[in-house]
Amino acid sequence: MPAIRRLILRLHARHVWHAYLFVAPIIILFGAFRVAPSVQTLLYSVYRVELLRGRFTFIGLENFRELLVDRAFQQAAWNTLVYVLVIVPVSAALGLLLAVLFDTRFPLRELFKALYFAPMVTSTVAAAVVWWWLYNPQFGLFNVLLRLVGLPIQPWLMSSRTALLSILLFSVWKGIGYNMVVYLAGLQAIPESFVEAARIDGAGGFQRFWRITLPLLAPTTAFLLIYNSIQAFQVFDQVFVLTSGGPAGSTNVIVLDLYRQAFERYNFGYAAAEAMFLFLLTLGVTVLQYVYSKRFEVSY
Amino acid sequence: MQRRTVLKLALTAPLLASRRAWSQSKAITLWYPAGDITAGAAHFSDKSFFAPYEAKTGVKVEAVGLDYDTMQQKIFAAAAAKNVGDILFVDGSWVPGFLKEDMLDAVPDARSKAWLDAVSPEIRTLSDYGKGRMWGYPQYGIDIYGLTWNKDHFKEAGLDPEKPPRTWDEFRDYAKKLTKRDAQGNITRVGYAIRHVGHPHGIVHKHFWALYGAGASLVDDPLALRGGKANFNNDGGRAAVKLVLDMLDVDKSTSLNFPDPRAALLKGLASMQISETVSIHERAPKEAPELKWGLSATPVRKAGDKPITLLGSWMYAVPKMAKNREAAWQLLEWINTPEQDFEMCKKYAATPRYKVNWERDPFKSNAYDQALKQIYPYGKPLPVNLGLNGVMDAVGGAIQKTWHHEAKLEEALAEAERAANKAIADAAK
Repeated sequence: MPAIRRLILRLHARHVWHAYLFVAPIIILFGAFRVAPSVQTLLYSVYRVELLRGRFTFIGLENFRELLVDRAFQQAAWNTLVYVLVIVPVSAALGLLLAVLFDTRFPLRELFKALYFAPMVTSTVAAAVVWWWLYNPQFGLFNVLLRLVGLPIQPWLMSSRTALLSILLFSVWKGIGYNMVVYLAGLQAIPESFVEAARIDGAGGFQRFWRITLPLLAPTTAFLLIYNSIQAFQVFDQVFVLTSGGPAGSTNVIVLDLYRQAFERYNFGYAAAEAMFLFLLTLGVTVLQYVYSKRFEVSY
Repeated sequence: MQRRTVLKLALTAPLLASRRAWSQSKAITLWYPAGDITAGAAHFSDKSFFAPYEAKTGVKVEAVGLDYDTMQQKIFAAAAAKNVGDILFVDGSWVPGFLKEDMLDAVPDARSKAWLDAVSPEIRTLSDYGKGRMWGYPQYGIDIYGLTWNKDHFKEAGLDPEKPPRTWDEFRDYAKKLTKRDAQGNITRVGYAIRHVGHPHGIVHKHFWALYGAGASLVDDPLALRGGKANFNNDGGRAAVKLVLDMLDVDKSTSLNFPDPRAALLKGLASMQISETVSIHERAPKEAPELKWGLSATPVRKAGDKPITLLGSWMYAVPKMAKNREAAWQLLEWINTPEQDFEMCKKYAATPRYKVNWERDPFKSNAYDQALKQIYPYGKPLPVNLGLNGVMDAVGGAIQKTWHHEAKLEEALAEAERAANKAIADAAK
């Protein structure tokens, strides 16, 4: 019996074909809607693409070379980096703080938990429209509150100095609930005996948190940092709705820039190069975080 | 043999019947921006708009409303997928981008010539893309940018409510007098509201009057599809951007803390603003019924100069990949006859396009229409350059950066000039 036939029969006997059949729909969908567009984007990035004319001119790394000298892209990349560097640790830290608060029992705990989590399940666009009004310099709630406490009103989204901060505030509000829930799950998975032992040894509340809880939450933290970073690099919706990248490009981010290049200026090759740059950046940061987080792996 | 013939007939009859039924109930689609983006687009949701045409031809017209902010992108994606609307009702400033991608069908030469001869000069300007070439028909009720002001504010500030500022100096002086502050010195009402946030193109639209009025322009040859140079990093361009910069920093008669200029005027937060006059005309009765407002040409740099302002329009165009091109052109021919122009403008209180219709009532005696007619001669459309999107991005960005003090005026314009020339060169490849 030829070896190949034997292999086929063996796989059949082990129901491997059936297994492939069952996973085929998702593999096909993933291939069609994820892998194929990614490969296409990679190819486009080395071409000048005229989509409607069906003309593709190979230009090698020209698109990438242009990226390096494009000031609008540089600003978008910088804004994206600032956004990631702020949003990732701040969301995680505030999520942890809330999770620790909600890990104790108090009246209406579940209601407050739901309130903090609600922004996470709200449409970003719908929430951003509401926040756009909250930020209105004349009638917005934030300036009304500032006036009430005698503080100077702020231009929020209207100024290049405060617009990115305003978007960051919105994003923290939007993402904090998710971080809280993940941390809460992490906290509840820590065996009580560890904390109890530390308490018997005389460790105070802060020491128990710092020496026991936080290190044992390292895998959760690593997950959140990686997940939040990937999400943050792809920021688009809130920027598109709140500022369209302005004023003066102060909130322009990579995804918004590539969207404009592709669909307003029809530079699909250039936009694909921006997408590849973003992919490599995200991949690099994720790998770095993953490798580094291995040092903090725990098992209990 | 007979049985075979009967069988063939039995098989083909349903096909023929369904084909006949399909042709009788043929539908063409028209894509337009939904919402209050442009007054003209709202007419498509009126069921009676296409009713006479549908009754006459048996062709059903399906008007599909799209979100304005993403409409251009959706059109392009749909065109790439060869599943686009048969007629596109598009912002005139999108046309160069579509031409860059060779997306639009040209109006036949004979038809273009007849149209250009019969319409009023401003419509001719908007329709002609050079040497009588047309890529679609501008809709009635065209946009002209003009100065609008609150007459009550003028009275309150001791200014004649019927006399708008004519020169830049007067304009600055008026704006200072009209600005109001609270006890802490915070501006509560600006003399002049500016567009300084949002898409850079919107900023260029609303500052076009100053740029062109001062002698600058977006590109040196407005009718060249390819090539040319940016033409705003010069004395005129610098003066135009500096005008508002001085109002922000020196006069403090405008502010970056105020919203869209049209909204600001309608809410009483601004006394003067410059934008599409048709917008204030449409919105004021609903949003500010008490507002008494005036309309005039934009101020000029110095006495004796001729005002220049942005003339824009929405256009009917047919994409090359439309499934029902022939039927689409037939519908456009019907919409754009002198008779339909008259009937629709009368029905929707819009300004007509044909010279002959301007001679008829109600347009001949309508005060608003006649006021617009006075401004039309100063209107200039956007250039048709294929790199226009990039040029507008560059100029809008430079204006924003300067007004927001992100960059010095000269640096911002020099950088924008480089970016604009690159966009022009890239588009010409």
